[in-house]
Amino acid sequence: MIVIGNPGNRRTAGIQSARAKLGLPPAYEVRYLDLLQRKTSLTESVHRLGLKTEEPLLLRLDAPGEHFDVERELIALGAPDVEPDKFGSLHRSADFPEAAVVQPLSRRMALALQEHKGKLYHPSQWFRGYCRLLAELDGEAKQLWQRPGWMNAPMDIAAMFDKRQTHKVLTSAGVPVPKLLSPPDAIPDYETLQSIMKQRRMNRIFAKLAFGSGACGVIAYQTNPTTGAEVAVTTIGVDNFIAKPPIYYNVKKLVRYTDSRMIRQIVNWLLRHGAHIEQWIPKASYDGQSFDIRQLVVAGQSCHSAARVSRTPITNLHLRSERKSLNEVGLTASEEKEIRSCAERALEAFPESTIAGIDIALSAGSRRPFVLDVNPYGDLLYHIRHEGYDPYEWEMKQLAGP
Amino acid sequence: MMIEKKLSLDYEQYENGEKIVDLIEQLAGGEESAKLESLIIGDWGGAYENDSSEIVEALVRLNGKFPQLRKLFIGDMSYEECEVSWINQSNVAPLLIAYPELTSLTIKGSTELALEPAIHEKLEELIIICGGLGKQVLASISSGRFPKLKKLELYLGVEEYGFDGGLEDVLPLIEQEKFPQLTYLGLKDSEIQDEIAIALAEAPILDQLETLDLSMGTLTDKGAEALLNSSKARGLKFLDLHYHYMSDEMIAKWKQSGLNVDISDQQKYDDDEDYRYPSLTE
Repeated sequence: MIVIGNPGNRRTAGIQSARAKLGLPPAYEVRYLDLLQRKTSLTESVHRLGLKTEEPLLLRLDAPGEHFDVERELIALGAPDVEPDKFGSLHRSADFPEAAVVQPLSRRMALALQEHKGKLYHPSQWFRGYCRLLAELDGEAKQLWQRPGWMNAPMDIAAMFDKRQTHKVLTSAGVPVPKLLSPPDAIPDYETLQSIMKQRRMNRIFAKLAFGSGACGVIAYQTNPTTGAEVAVTTIGVDNFIAKPPIYYNVKKLVRYTDSRMIRQIVNWLLRHGAHIEQWIPKASYDGQSFDIRQLVVAGQSCHSAARVSRTPITNLHLRSERKSLNEVGLTASEEKEIRSCAERALEAFPESTIAGIDIALSAGSRRPFVLDVNPYGDLLYHIRHEGYDPYEWEMKQLAGP
Repeated sequence: MMIEKKLSLDYEQYENGEKIVDLIEQLAGGEESAKLESLIIGDWGGAYENDSSEIVEALVRLNGKFPQLRKLFIGDMSYEECEVSWINQSNVAPLLIAYPELTSLTIKGSTELALEPAIHEKLEELIIICGGLGKQVLASISSGRFPKLKKLELYLGVEEYGFDGGLEDVLPLIEQEKFPQLTYLGLKDSEIQDEIAIALAEAPILDQLETLDLSMGTLTDKGAEALLNSSKARGLKFLDLHYHYMSDEMIAKWKQSGLNVDISDQQKYDDDEDYRYPSLTE
């Protein structure tokens, strides 16, 4: 098995210890940073490790996040001035999105970015860079193996990472999702957003950064048709300066904006980078707190799950959300079953993938499940066991067994 | 256990044009209604633009169908369904007249809320949950008549969401003899929590109270000090101060006070920005 990730982090460590526990040889580790800095490539790694490509090999892409150098390299790879020839193997494929990038940074400027904790550097260019890397890995793997053993194929990861695409895929697979406010291209700015909301009488929406994960870049936004008041609840903070462009960043505590000027600025920033905008379906609550469910699906089967309860509309916020079992939030056996099958259908919509953490909420009242998000790297769930196995052990047992 | 029913419209029902009044009529027409003791009205659909008057009218009109009804909650909805400060209420006093046997009334949301006249011979509990309670409602309650009232719990909130009064509008509520049976007083979630705490610390009404609830507001050491030094507060069975802005030192003092006090959920505020908010201001 090869793991492409940021070795040393909790994810890679989790996989390695799961393999050790199951008596499997350790996975080979390929660092995102080495790939991005052209110190190695997938092909070179495979040859160097002396791996035989006739034999099936599990290939796991892991989350590239929580590593500033990797983030910076990905933004640089998404730069408009990256020439395929400079990178030798830079592979472009029509299968992968080439995200439009607003106010792009040149490669040189991107590489000069300094780390600021929480700063949202350049989401759209980051995504373009990540898609370019995914396309490259996909192309190399296809040359190396007849049937590459991706746990999640790069193309699916790109689709899952773009909430607009995820929504499209799920919709056409008949998986229940919140209604789209309108096609993403139809909403260039805040004013258009407001007028479409009015026109469609959809006064409560979620606007999500198309390539965010978790609560990052999510705005729960509503307007009051009677008074014209508006409220935006989000983790996006902004610092405005006189002499330089504003800085957008993630805040730890949710911010509640009621000032139209601030809302307009943040919404416009989100829309410029690319946003998915859907109806805000009131979520079922338990004991005064709303909740959603993270349901892990491995090899077609639902396994580990956790309910995240919150006093805010953004339930998937890691820091402030409390985790409970499905039982503890009062789900009936049939509701649990519906959630499991809903999650399985969501993963089925991505046929080249065997793992995803599906975020599912129940609607208040009718308690019908609907999918909020599909996370290709949604298996980092602490202290949750399924049939005695943690998520990584379970994955290895299901996918790496003889 | 009370026989209880909650009626609400979910998003799809509202989109499909269903009406909460139809649900109330259905309930009234069914067998259940004769035995029903507690009725909760949740989201009635578009509460940010549709007020509760139709619900009040329907319940008044159908009062004969609910002979056992003792407990009523109008507006039990979460922030997922409607911002509390956007819930449109109406004058709910006709319910008090139509249900003379009622013992508990809870209202959530204060926009356009009125309670005039506030008179009920048997009501034991009156609870108003909101982001900001108007002084008109405070005046109605303090000039009203609730001889059996044991529990009065009012979220006072902030000016931005409807608290247009001041301490002078709150004080009439704590005159002794006003509510002779009162044992639970909650004047909470307030942006003038310190002023209220100071006013209450030596107020004669404390002699009759078992519980004083000043939670969820902007209570700091200032208000807390007054309570801590109050001999009257020592007679309380329970003092609820959770969600507050007291210092660690003050918390330590409470811990040593021997009083039964809830001082959980300490809030921190930024030193550079002196912003302190009550808990329920959304």
